[in-house]
Amino acid sequence: MLELKNITKIYNPGQVTEMCLFDKFNLTVDEGQFVSIVGSNGSGKTSLLNIICGSIPIEGGEVLVGSKDIGKMKDFQRYRSIGRVYQNPSVGTCPNLTMLENMSLADNKGKTFGLSFGINRARENFYKEQLSILGLGLENKMDVKLGALSGGQRQAASLIMSTLTPVEFLILDEHTAALDPKTAEIIMDLTERVVKEKNLTAMMVTHNLRYAVEYGNRLIMMDKGGVVMDLSEEEKSALKVQDILDVFTSISIECGN
Amino acid sequence: MGMKKFISISMAMVMGLATLVGCGSAAGSASKGKEEAIPVIGISQYGQHASLDNCREGFLQGLAESGLVEGEDFTVDYQNAGFDDNITIQIAQNFSANNVALMCAVATPSATACYAAAEDKDIPVIFTAITDPVEAKLDTGNVTGTSDKLPVEEQLELIRALQPEAKTIGILYTTSEPNSVSAIAEYEEKGPDFGFTIETIGITQQAEVLQAADSMIAKGVDAISNLTDNNVVGVLPSILEKTNEAQIPVYGSEIEQVKLGCVASAGIDYISLGKQTGAMAAKILKGEATAKEMPYETISSFDTYINSQSLEDMGITVPAEIAEKAIEAAN
Amino acid sequence: MVLADLFISTLTQGFLYALLSYGVFITYKILDFPDLTVDGSFPLGAAITGVFLLKGVNPFLVLLISAAFGALAGWMTGFIHVRLGVRDLLAGIITMTALFSINLQIAGSNLAIGRDADTIFTAASTMALLGSMPLMMRKFIVSLVLALLVKLLLDLYLKTKSGLLLRAVGDNSTLVTTLAKDKGTTKILGLVIANALVALCGSVVCQEQRAFSSTMGTGQVVFGLATVIIGTTLFRRFGFVKGTTAVLTGSVFYKICIQIAISLGLPANLLKLAMAVLFLFILILGDRRKDGAENA
Repeated sequence: MLELKNITKIYNPGQVTEMCLFDKFNLTVDEGQFVSIVGSNGSGKTSLLNIICGSIPIEGGEVLVGSKDIGKMKDFQRYRSIGRVYQNPSVGTCPNLTMLENMSLADNKGKTFGLSFGINRARENFYKEQLSILGLGLENKMDVKLGALSGGQRQAASLIMSTLTPVEFLILDEHTAALDPKTAEIIMDLTERVVKEKNLTAMMVTHNLRYAVEYGNRLIMMDKGGVVMDLSEEEKSALKVQDILDVFTSISIECGN
Repeated sequence: MGMKKFISISMAMVMGLATLVGCGSAAGSASKGKEEAIPVIGISQYGQHASLDNCREGFLQGLAESGLVEGEDFTVDYQNAGFDDNITIQIAQNFSANNVALMCAVATPSATACYAAAEDKDIPVIFTAITDPVEAKLDTGNVTGTSDKLPVEEQLELIRALQPEAKTIGILYTTSEPNSVSAIAEYEEKGPDFGFTIETIGITQQAEVLQAADSMIAKGVDAISNLTDNNVVGVLPSILEKTNEAQIPVYGSEIEQVKLGCVASAGIDYISLGKQTGAMAAKILKGEATAKEMPYETISSFDTYINSQSLEDMGITVPAEIAEKAIEAAN
Repeated sequence: MVLADLFISTLTQGFLYALLSYGVFITYKILDFPDLTVDGSFPLGAAITGVFLLKGVNPFLVLLISAAFGALAGWMTGFIHVRLGVRDLLAGIITMTALFSINLQIAGSNLAIGRDADTIFTAASTMALLGSMPLMMRKFIVSLVLALLVKLLLDLYLKTKSGLLLRAVGDNSTLVTTLAKDKGTTKILGLVIANALVALCGSVVCQEQRAFSSTMGTGQVVFGLATVIIGTTLFRRFGFVKGTTAVLTGSVFYKICIQIAISLGLPANLLKLAMAVLFLFILILGDRRKDGAENA
């Protein structure tokens, strides 16, 4: 469903620091796949996500959704069908707006932001419902400004917000990296539930090998702009973290739990 | 929430009271004069400037010469706006609220503000140092004053007399100043009568003047003449430095400029202008006439000022007829 | 009565200039964009007003026309910043500088509007409602109505989806992109609305003074910022007070302070210093209430 075809990405072209990250890189993600992407720093994991979302330009190749080349679409246009949760919890919500206002914003994704009332009180119960799934008590903080909440709480809200409206892809960019272990677990559980319930195709970049093994139905390991390991669900379920870690020995990264 | 509202409301009340008291005590001292029926003259000066200061001093002298004694027949509330348009507006409103007997406005922005503020109470406004009162729409209504329209012909005559061979005269001016624009038009109209071509360079703000001066010098003009342009006059000493080096004589528009180093001027003595204004104000205060009835006046006679030192530096000899009636401005 | 007169005319000034404060509130507080266009769009509104009033156009219509031109100025800054990639501060400076010339082209030179031309304070409709009152009271009421009307419209707008998005783009522009909206376009919208308000202010001030001068814009952005900061700082503790109310109060407060200084006979040179000291005092006071021990 998502196909990266012959992607070439060069950083700082023409300068001393020129670095070719992707050289005719190919990757296909089928509908319904929940891909975990692991790899060393600089392997191209985040660049991959950014290329899909349109945040960074490419020097060659195509990004196809279905059979449509979305390469010409600007980033905000691509987000119509993509939901994204960032690593930094501050980036997913507006700190000076209340939870209700943030949810209202997210609820309106894909529709016009016109002159009708910003906050739809009728939907408030729906928002509370969605937030209560988290079990963090956020449904009681509808009138609290997001800036007053902790990183974990904001990230949780970001996750809910990113899937409040229907999307085709969910891009998760190390979204638990900045959270404490307990909250991270909650978020991962929720991520899995959301992906399953809404039948999303998801791509998750993570440094946590355990998550990569336990969640999702496909595992990709990247190194220096290439895929060095691509495991399907069965292959993955047969593995333990230690197995993957061994493969990692040649590439130094941090270990998850 | 209740406590917050209470605090905010009481804070607002306190603030309101404080401002009332503040305005009151200040206004009280001004209206004290009113209680004893001594009229207050509100003088609103646009900013600190030699010519404008001279106007104000002349104004007070004019009142005195008409027989009015400060402290007995009138008191003065002098406010200077520091060239700030917003403050100029509030000064005028202050005068209006205080029911001054007469507003004296020195320079156009002050006059416009005073006239706008005086409308309600029909307080007479007297202006001075406005070149074109008609343009400023201050020629009708309960407003009058004196115009410092430049004696362009007299200046051209003077230049011709002092520099018989000169062909071009350069003038620097601010394009947004209607006073300057109309003066330029007159120069260009009358210049050929005296055998001159006029070269002009327009600037938009004071920072550009010196560069414009360089351009003017590069054009090779035979003389430079000044208008009463605030931006240009403000940096006159720096201009003179350049022109002296290039040996180009600069003619001023009033005595202060000649004192600073201009060679000569057929010009306005702003103190005289002020006195004329003071005399008009005295008539209004005495009840002899109203501002409505009095058309604005221009200064009728002009003096020739010369700076012998500067003239010598430029190698200009002064013809006898001029030397006789000219007033030496150099120190 | 002297005191009442002074109070009323000062309040009038506060209400008139509140329109400018609303504009700066949008760019500075909501968009987090330091917009110097204001120094150019304010006199733009006045220049347009001068020209059209002298032609005898309906003064209320002139308000709208001026606002439209202000919107254009805001759009220009937005375009330069968003599409041409120039920094926010510089984009505003470029537009402001260009407008200086443009304003003079529009007006020709400084303008004075004779009493034969109608303004919103003397127009037939105004006279029909308020004709019995002296001019000063008419100015007071019209400016009060304008300030409140615009405030209400602005408050309403900020409650809409578009207004919410505007608030979001200044708070977290990345989120706006993730919500599939062009943050650039949203910012431009904010600049357009803000400068329309500023030009509107220029228009009413020109109508009140019956004059346009090319230098009347100088320092207006400073005034706007001061009133926004003073207003929001004064009311920081009181979250229930809307931003628009706070800046309206800020504008009135500022004008009152100047009037007090004038009444006390403070020379203009010292007046600016006094305002700076007052400004500092308020900022410190506002911060102390918030942070407590830190600044003690």
